[in-house]
Amino acid sequence: MTLLILFIGLYGLIVSDNLIRKIMCLTIVQGTVIMSFLTSGFQINAAAPILSVPESAFVDPVPQALMLTAIVIGVCFNALALAFVVRYFQQHGTIEVSEIHER
Amino acid sequence: MSSLLDTFGVLSVFFWNAPVLVVLVLWAAACLTSLLPSKGTWLPGGLALAAHFLALLLTGYLAWAVLSYGEIRYALGGWLAPWGIEFLVTRLSVFMLITIFSVSTLIVVYSLADLPHDVETRLLGGYYTLYLLLVGSLAGLCVTNDLFNMFVLMEVAAIGACGIIAAKGGPECTEASLKYMILSCLGTAGILLATALLYKLTGHLNIDYIAAGMNTAVEHYPINSMVALALFSVGYIIKAALFPLHVWLPDAHSSAPSPSSAVLSGLVIKVYAVLYLRILVQVYSPEVFRIVPVNELILVLASISIIVGSLYAMAQTDIKRMLAYSSIAQIGYVFLGIGLMHPTGLTGGLLHIFNHAMMKSMLFLSAGAVIYCTGIRTIKDMKGIGLQMPLAMSAFTIGAMAMVGIPATNGFISKLYLAMGTLEAGRPVYLGVILMSSLLNGVYYLPIAIGAFFGQQDPESWPVERRDCTRLPLRMAVPIVILAGGCLFFGIFPRHMLVLIEGTVAIIFP
Repeated sequence: MTLLILFIGLYGLIVSDNLIRKIMCLTIVQGTVIMSFLTSGFQINAAAPILSVPESAFVDPVPQALMLTAIVIGVCFNALALAFVVRYFQQHGTIEVSEIHER
Repeated sequence: MSSLLDTFGVLSVFFWNAPVLVVLVLWAAACLTSLLPSKGTWLPGGLALAAHFLALLLTGYLAWAVLSYGEIRYALGGWLAPWGIEFLVTRLSVFMLITIFSVSTLIVVYSLADLPHDVETRLLGGYYTLYLLLVGSLAGLCVTNDLFNMFVLMEVAAIGACGIIAAKGGPECTEASLKYMILSCLGTAGILLATALLYKLTGHLNIDYIAAGMNTAVEHYPINSMVALALFSVGYIIKAALFPLHVWLPDAHSSAPSPSSAVLSGLVIKVYAVLYLRILVQVYSPEVFRIVPVNELILVLASISIIVGSLYAMAQTDIKRMLAYSSIAQIGYVFLGIGLMHPTGLTGGLLHIFNHAMMKSMLFLSAGAVIYCTGIRTIKDMKGIGLQMPLAMSAFTIGAMAMVGIPATNGFISKLYLAMGTLEAGRPVYLGVILMSSLLNGVYYLPIAIGAFFGQQDPESWPVERRDCTRLPLRMAVPIVILAGGCLFFGIFPRHMLVLIEGTVAIIFP
């Protein structure tokens, strides 16, 4: 399932002409990677190890902690990329890639 | 007396935490430069320089400690290895730290004079913030032993690199940073996915622990571990700009301000090549290369990279664009050394990291000096410029000779080791690649050097933006001279760096 979404993201990244759409597709790719990492710690009917270690099976907390960091980094990356798109628009008057290369 | 003891106490804490301080010193300076008032133009640069000197001091201590007592393990926050993040300082990390800080310090000195020319005054503090973030995370990438920490540092480095490309503010800079950003984000996504696969297979993020579990993992889940290897390869090849995935590099390196080009071409792409080497030899065992011949693939890509990069470079008219394409060819040498999987070849490849860092940053800096003083960027306008700017063009000539690999320059030593490595590994085809590319390098570097000193100036073809030659500031001249001297010194006495590399190679190929 994550693989399917990953390929949707990659496809969108390649075919889309609009820079904002490209960045959205990049976010989708990042999201699938994060989902895939999260599933590595997941078990059905397992408890969360908060404050004390549960007696039954419990979810591995490490991927969740790591992915929190990855999400934060992803947000920073998106913010910077969008800032570049704003500047791109100010300089070229458009954010469609094909229009810029036609000129 | 007691105050003296206290001083020693502080100093010992300082050196005890050296592996992490070497990163944090730069990042702390990065935080400070962003807070400084933007009016004083020398203040952010001076702070950056001070941070670099501190980092050099720490690197010197680490080099002494590693060479006399062996590798240093440092647990961040006191959490020991399988749970916490571990920093591991080996001879390879010391080698990379020396390369990074010696070149980067000189680039900072140069940028003190050159930057106000290219970047708006109010942005200078921000520029040094991003620069220090980038260099700090590069240093971190060399010492970390944790795959997820590696991912975080790579993202910080990418953000810093995008920022210093775009600092000039022109339309081509914005486009180049955006291109770099999208491709590098894809690359790091691939690396993170591969890290996730390895975590699922072995349950660890620490490279040593992954390596311990990798043999059983490859046995039981061969497809998963091979997919992880493929994703690592794609990610690091994008980051290091090897041939099919190099498309972002020429734009990014040629449109950036000269100090940024020098640090990007000289240092950033090399660090990713070293990380890829660590993944190949430390995480995976040599049996993997029998299942999937990754090293053959690297050899082929490196050869194409060497030839195609040189051919593209010949076709360029802009000097900085030519140097950028030449970087693609030169990173091919490093990967050739990695792909040979042979002690002598790897020695040559690793030595080329240091040598190329010196000569390429010097070439970018001297090209930047020409642009600073005269405004000339196109190669054909550089005829006869050597008489007006003897220092910059002499340095350029030394760099050009080092690129070709003429004896008594450092390029000769690393190419010699690579060539001997191809013969000892029984791959004479790649010797042909090295020789042919040296010839190609000669074809596009030497005419510039010859034309600069013996060519006739043609005043009618001068560009409109050409200015009368201004005097080269001392702060720009000194780094160029030191780097040029380094190119010659390490061409005649290569022993000093080889000690570190041979120690590394002896561990990889026991």
